[in-house]
Amino acid sequence: MDSYALVPWNRYALITELARRLEPTSSQFGKTALQKIVYLLTDLFGIPTGYEFEFYNYGPFSSQLHHDLDLVAHIGGVVVEDYSAEFAGYVISPGERADALIEKGAEFIHSSEVDKAISRVVDEFGDFNASELELRATILFVDRDLAARGKPTNKDDILSIVQKLKPRFDKLTIESALEGMATGEYLRCSN
Amino acid sequence: MTYEIRDPIHGFIVIDEIERDIINHPDFQRLRRIRQLGCTDMVYPGATHTRFEHSLGVMHVATKMFEHIIHRRPDYLKNELNFTDSDLQRDKRIVRLAALLHDIGHAPFSHAAEELMSFDEKTKKVYKHENYSAAIVRYRFSGFINSNHLLIKMGINADGIADFLDGSTALGKSLLWRNLIVGQLDADRADYLLRDSHHIGVAYGHYDLNRILHTLSVAIDEESGSPQVVVMKSGAHAAEALILARYMMFTQVYFQHTRRVYDHHIAESIKSLLTQKTGSVETNYNGKFPPPTEEGIQKYLDWDDCKVMGLVKQGHAGEHGRILLTRRHYRRIFETPERPEQSDLEKLEAAKQKLSNFAIIVDKAENSWYKHDASDIRIIAEAGAKTDKLTPLSFLSPVVKGLSAVNQTRLYVPPEKKDDANRLLMSINK
Repeated sequence: MDSYALVPWNRYALITELARRLEPTSSQFGKTALQKIVYLLTDLFGIPTGYEFEFYNYGPFSSQLHHDLDLVAHIGGVVVEDYSAEFAGYVISPGERADALIEKGAEFIHSSEVDKAISRVVDEFGDFNASELELRATILFVDRDLAARGKPTNKDDILSIVQKLKPRFDKLTIESALEGMATGEYLRCSN
Repeated sequence: MTYEIRDPIHGFIVIDEIERDIINHPDFQRLRRIRQLGCTDMVYPGATHTRFEHSLGVMHVATKMFEHIIHRRPDYLKNELNFTDSDLQRDKRIVRLAALLHDIGHAPFSHAAEELMSFDEKTKKVYKHENYSAAIVRYRFSGFINSNHLLIKMGINADGIADFLDGSTALGKSLLWRNLIVGQLDADRADYLLRDSHHIGVAYGHYDLNRILHTLSVAIDEESGSPQVVVMKSGAHAAEALILARYMMFTQVYFQHTRRVYDHHIAESIKSLLTQKTGSVETNYNGKFPPPTEEGIQKYLDWDDCKVMGLVKQGHAGEHGRILLTRRHYRRIFETPERPEQSDLEKLEAAKQKLSNFAIIVDKAENSWYKHDASDIRIIAEAGAKTDKLTPLSFLSPVVKGLSAVNQTRLYVPPEKKDDANRLLMSINK
């Protein structure tokens, strides 16, 4: 995309556009959900977002995306608010300058490839909460990580690793998510 | 048998024979010729320390962190997290070796030349120094590590340490200890803030390391369900101080405008050297370092600060090499605020457009001081609490929560063009 652009308007516009499209559908579109949705756009749908993801406590995470969100919020593209006094989470919604910021990256955002990919990610993953997105993004990350390391894998290998990485999800929940990802032909591992 | 190395920050650093052999390996000795802060000595003359002493320091601090955590909750580790005594012995050894070797893959002048690393066709990403560190462990240290009887007995091999370094998801529960090397409160930051401050001669990076060590613990995070390194409530302000120290070091030292432009001058010099054949060794890699493959890593390790500066001194590094020798660096001509508005970014684009006929350097100084959602430092209530209710530091600390990211872009021009460029930008800079 525009990783080397003087000002990465396309990245800023993408964050703003996702806030706009996911606000009505996502139960709580927060920082974790944004990370996972952009990860899916990047590694699953092949959109050159310019973001690189590493594995952290809550699954795939991009420091650059975290950083960009802060700036986009400062500019007024989105608003990031505390979810509640008790729960240490955040909600992202479009800000007062959302239109102006999307306009700066309109060519990218409205290109047929990106527009289709955003629609798919919203349709297929937009209903999941942050925790469900975290599990699916983790499955995809493990699948891609092992493939990149040249390690032949099947679904059982992925299940075993995800169980260790995400012990709070029971086996059935992981299996169900894994099956969903495999049915959607999102995984590179064998059956 | 153990040996002691005197260190300016931590006093004596104790190593054993396995570590001594690794330290004496030529690939580790190369770190004596990789400066910790690149060309920062062009601004702060004391900044000539190297990755060698930092690596020893990280091993020392990571070990202290590990030991304090074990001491704090031995039963919890055994009963709740299923660590056996031999697991802990093995993991302590892995943490020490990984900490010692974590920076072994740095390019000459450290981060300054990182942009010249090769592109990985498999992952579609540019390699990072962590990938080179892992590759060096796999290809250069496997002979030693995989044949050492003590390490074999503990179930430690080179692949395991390399996986630890590059964050393989196959690590399973041992990922817990990776927090000690790669995290917001890790041994790497704990060491470099103190060490850089000491050598540069500033106080910005100081914080209370002992307080942090004595308040480290471990707990299962309810939200992620994973075990994590946490800080007890009595250490929350010490953790806060480390975050602030990092913020101060970046804004006052690492992002200093002249220091930043030297990163570009050294990177351009090295890039130039990597496009030509210099001397008897093949060095033409089209402006990139060889990849971290078994064959490439050997060629990569040939590059260190001494080799680069030797070639620069011989005049092989072009205009940017001459700048390094004469200190006639490019001059800052335009910069956005640390927290730009959209209009500031548009001014930046206009400024660059006006300077289209100049040779300019664009520098983006970006960093977030605290990652609220990825590896937020978790604070655990003191004794008396029945469950491990963890609270993110960013939620407890208004100071940490209020730390905004810096996103500053600067434009530089050659010194002789500064006046002309200033005249062109007069209308924008008003």
